[in-house]
Amino acid sequence: MLISLVVFVPVLVVVSSVFRDSGGAWAHLAETRLSDYLINTLLLAISVPMIAAVLGVPTAWLVTMYRFPGRGILSWALLLPIAMPAYIAAYSLTDLLQRSGPIQSCLFGQIGPAPTWFPEVRSLPGAAVVLGLSLYPYVYFAARVAFASQPRSALEASRSLGRGPVATFLTVGIPMARPALIAALLLVLMETVADFGAVEYCAVDTLATGVYRTWFGLDSQNAAAQLSTLLLGVVGFVFMLEVINRGHRRFHHTSIRGGSRASSGLGRIGGVIAAVSCTAPILLGFAAPAAWLVVLAWQYGDPRAGEVLLKYGANSALIGGLAAAVAVASALICLFAHRAHRTWLSRSVVHICRAGYGLPGPVIAIGVLVTISWLDARFGGVVLIGGTLAALLIGYQARFLSVAIGFVGAAYERINDRIDDAAHTLGSSRFWLLARVHLPLLRGGILAAAALVFVDAVKELPMTLMLRPFNFDTLAVRVYQLASEERLEAAASGSLLLVLVGLIPAAVLATQIDRRPGGAK
Amino acid sequence: MTALATETAEVAVVHRLEVRDVSFAYPGHSEVLSGFDMTVAAGEVHCVEGPSGAGKTTVLRLIAGLERLQRGTIRVDGQEIASAKRHVRPERRSVAIVFQDLALFPNRTVLGNVTFGMHHLRRATRREAAMDLLRQVQMDHLADRMPHSLSGGQQQRVAIARAFATKPSVMLLDEPFCSLDPCLRCELREEMLGLLRRAGVATVLVTHAPEEVEKFADRVTCCREINATVTVDGT
Repeated sequence: MLISLVVFVPVLVVVSSVFRDSGGAWAHLAETRLSDYLINTLLLAISVPMIAAVLGVPTAWLVTMYRFPGRGILSWALLLPIAMPAYIAAYSLTDLLQRSGPIQSCLFGQIGPAPTWFPEVRSLPGAAVVLGLSLYPYVYFAARVAFASQPRSALEASRSLGRGPVATFLTVGIPMARPALIAALLLVLMETVADFGAVEYCAVDTLATGVYRTWFGLDSQNAAAQLSTLLLGVVGFVFMLEVINRGHRRFHHTSIRGGSRASSGLGRIGGVIAAVSCTAPILLGFAAPAAWLVVLAWQYGDPRAGEVLLKYGANSALIGGLAAAVAVASALICLFAHRAHRTWLSRSVVHICRAGYGLPGPVIAIGVLVTISWLDARFGGVVLIGGTLAALLIGYQARFLSVAIGFVGAAYERINDRIDDAAHTLGSSRFWLLARVHLPLLRGGILAAAALVFVDAVKELPMTLMLRPFNFDTLAVRVYQLASEERLEAAASGSLLLVLVGLIPAAVLATQIDRRPGGAK
Repeated sequence: MTALATETAEVAVVHRLEVRDVSFAYPGHSEVLSGFDMTVAAGEVHCVEGPSGAGKTTVLRLIAGLERLQRGTIRVDGQEIASAKRHVRPERRSVAIVFQDLALFPNRTVLGNVTFGMHHLRRATRREAAMDLLRQVQMDHLADRMPHSLSGGQQQRVAIARAFATKPSVMLLDEPFCSLDPCLRCELREEMLGLLRRAGVATVLVTHAPEEVEKFADRVTCCREINATVTVDGT
């Protein structure tokens, strides 16, 4: 119950702000920036999932159903852009494509104005493409797993009933994968709405950047909280759609044979087209920005990079490690209690904790800040939590506890309830049951959960910016600060380190694909 | 008179399906089929029997175009549809297949499954034709149900109606009755094979049930082992 308060209270605090006076700040926002925030957020919410679908779904279909050159490597390499935080992709692609960057210099010479047709990364379409490239792996992963578990005979039946390969993809493959695809697209939508770093760098004002600016620029806690409520409303709407989608989640396959595998060739030209189509998103979303960061770090990098990386890297590792440990411990407590009692209360606690991932970082930060300010004021103005690592940890728990619950919960579902009964009849107390039976069986899930929470915490930007203690900068914050000052070359080595850390979830997802029926292995 | 029965009169007695000297090996494996021959006339039921792994299903997959032929030829209505050099796509062959697991589309209703193969027809005509087929397999009253809510026997009927929807020259049945209880199996296969015969469709029935062969086969090909197929005429 206490654990779920970490998620519940910040939301409640933010929502309750609607009734508080913002001292004219809200009126000022409504007159000036609010319409921009809303329109830009809406445009991104429409365009990014579309880009992610265009990149993720056909590529997943190709690698699942067909044999072509490089298919084995592309199958997992298509997940690589997930390792590249959107804000780092934005920094790198902007630098790569700007007028003084290597591509335009190469194409149009080093002087003179940029041609008008050349894409501008620092724009709304640019932000949409960057976010689409960073987030499409969610769609790719969901589509890959869904396509791989579709019965091959259903697709073959479609062919024998007169539908060609493309028509089979459109009329059988996609409709049968629809629930998984919608869930993934809604996740992309939530991530888009919550994104701070990439849109901020691309100079696109959204609700998420608005919360941060209102907090720091207008210095209005209440107006920031009211803006957060608006953002929360958008997320709540998406969450509701996801719940509805989950209601229609399963199609009951009547076929007993599952698992479509890459069994058809595409011919020489078709194979090349497929390989190029699958390579392009990796090139744009991972290889090109990562390679440019390597060039920047190698040629112009900060000579003190090692020292700086060690300092900020240690801070990131500390906060990431703490967040992972607390999240896994909290998840274990919640899930063990739910398994032991299975009451509506324990179920509600698990559901509330699961919902935290949908909450945007700035919203949680505002909720935590307002709550701890109130608590500090109650204790006679003594700073108890505000500005300490504890505040940051509370924020991380609100957002990332759901990741730990997801992985540990999935591992728990594989443990038969009868095992608990057997252990009890053999004299185990609850503590011994957890320590000697559950923990060894949950080891894989716990490790995966800890790794993913660690990575998420290390990469997290807006919440860390708003909640970190004074003089405590993490790698993500340092990279953001340097990039904001247009010192990308100095930020390159830190960015690369974040990308390397980000490879962990990509590897976890790749192994998940291979475990499913019809996977690459 | 039903639509299927009406078509019977128009069907000439010719070899609708000819399989000649067919050999096939899956990549990285030894040959599954070698020198396989088979001919099936209109309205005839040709049983292919044999133990597991003898290549029975592979024969059907080759005829349906789901695998590429490596040697030999396959003709439907006199037209070559597969050889080492020629591969007509599955959707362009007049061949329908009912899989062992039926492969009904789980996201479509019974009616949606049957209309799937009628995409060349106008919407209103499509529905009418599909309902007519469903009436023939006594499933018209369940047209709006989803496949998972049907019993095994009902799903079989839908799968056969769906396969009929393309008006195929050749129908391939890959042990479609094997998962049913003996009583229902007997009733359903009698009904379905009778329907196919009346429609003049050349039917290939893969089975490992001797009583099925005995009762329904006009011809039998026994796939005992590689290079040892025996075809027996008559039942």
